[in-house]
Amino acid sequence: MVIVPATTGQMGAELKPGVLSVHEGNETSKYFVSSGFVFIHANSFADIIAVEALPLHQIDANLVQKGLAEFTQKLSSATTDLEKAKAQIGIDVHSAFNSALTG
Amino acid sequence: MASNAAVPFWRAAGMTYITYSNICANLVRNCLKEPYKTEALSRERVHFSISKWTDGKPEKPTIRSDSPAE
Repeated sequence: MVIVPATTGQMGAELKPGVLSVHEGNETSKYFVSSGFVFIHANSFADIIAVEALPLHQIDANLVQKGLAEFTQKLSSATTDLEKAKAQIGIDVHSAFNSALTG
Repeated sequence: MASNAAVPFWRAAGMTYITYSNICANLVRNCLKEPYKTEALSRERVHFSISKWTDGKPEKPTIRSDSPAE
């Protein structure tokens, strides 16, 4: 979803699970964000509203691998569209975790 | 207005963004190391009371303490 009013130059989008990096001078802090919104104001200030945002060191790699295997399995055994969507979300979240841990 | 690419798969399956967001948050919390995991799961608990209204009057309220994962 993108909001682009014509005159003022604001912008916004919905977030999906992944890494958010904050650059301050020479330092970068990375956070894993579960989902949320970003809103960029006309003066280049950005507001980030995240449901869950955690530093990468709080992620447990074993649980990520188990979760990925579990949801891959659920996707193949899913019948309804809703079950497939939920399994796909599980796969997306855990794959995003994997990239965050290895990237 | 700018038009988007194809609708996301979860919306095509009838899910709203808020449902998607809550599922993602729940999955993320489940992949944390302790002690962060217990702190995070405590954020997910809800506790509320509901009463149905009929004929302009509330019926007896029910209290719900839902734990995470629906």
